[in-house]
Amino acid sequence: MKFDKILENNTLWAIRGDNADDNVLQLLFQHWSDPEWLIDFFMDNMSDLESYFMITDINQAIYDTIEDSERIQCLILDISPDADLDKLFRPLNNSRTSEMLLGKEKARIKERPNHASWLRLYAIKLEPGCYIITGGAIKLTRTMQEREHTLRELNKMESVRNFLINEGAIDADGLMDYLTEIQ
Amino acid sequence: MKQKTLEYLEAHKSETPSRWREEAEWRRANASWLRHSQMIAVKVLLRMKQEHMTQKTLAERMNCTQQYVSKILKGNENMSLDTLTKLEDALNISLILPEEKMAYSDAALEEVFA
Repeated sequence: MKFDKILENNTLWAIRGDNADDNVLQLLFQHWSDPEWLIDFFMDNMSDLESYFMITDINQAIYDTIEDSERIQCLILDISPDADLDKLFRPLNNSRTSEMLLGKEKARIKERPNHASWLRLYAIKLEPGCYIITGGAIKLTRTMQEREHTLRELNKMESVRNFLINEGAIDADGLMDYLTEIQ
Repeated sequence: MKQKTLEYLEAHKSETPSRWREEAEWRRANASWLRHSQMIAVKVLLRMKQEHMTQKTLAERMNCTQQYVSKILKGNENMSLDTLTKLEDALNISLILPEEKMAYSDAALEEVFA
């Protein structure tokens, strides 16, 4: 696994899989703007779209996805060097109130007309204000465990987290500093 | 960021640069026509699925290469009116004017030439 720096101030990174041409962020934006990929996705997940969002028009679903994807893109492109990324990312588990070591986090667009945004970016929090994007998904169900594509993202977050620990990306001192800082 | 963490990430940076920023900037700069191109591609793809039509057949009907059809279907092509009309004819759908406008035009024409 390799890492790509997304922001020059070192606060945002993205993973790049072995033998992958580019990082997960680039791949996500490519998928979320690709009509063919989006049609296949929504045809496979039409029942979730209908039952959770009451949307039956695939054209509408694709239009909204492209629109939200553009908004997320612009958000990342325009992040200023002194921006606080802790305001962009939130704990993955809504009920989690305390910090956890290399926590699993998510980012989403909070305000959009007609329905909540189904696009998610997933990340591991390295330190306060510092994240590694592990992937993302079109999340149509209430929990990530319900569908294979979101479960895969959940497992990926866990693997990246374990990888960082096993590879010694954060050493014992780093762990102690981190734990002290978040107390 | 902790020096140790930063050193680790820098040491494990990808060997080739990412294209994400360049591509995202391009999508933003061309967003206005890209959206039309993407939604036209959606319409075309859905019609092709409905008709079980391959890219090869569509290319033959449009008298263009399959590579060009593939580009259109990616939603990244700034198409001319000529191309749009060829697509409409090949698929028997309306892409430029809404269906009801087309229907109105046909009806109006029938009236004129009645």
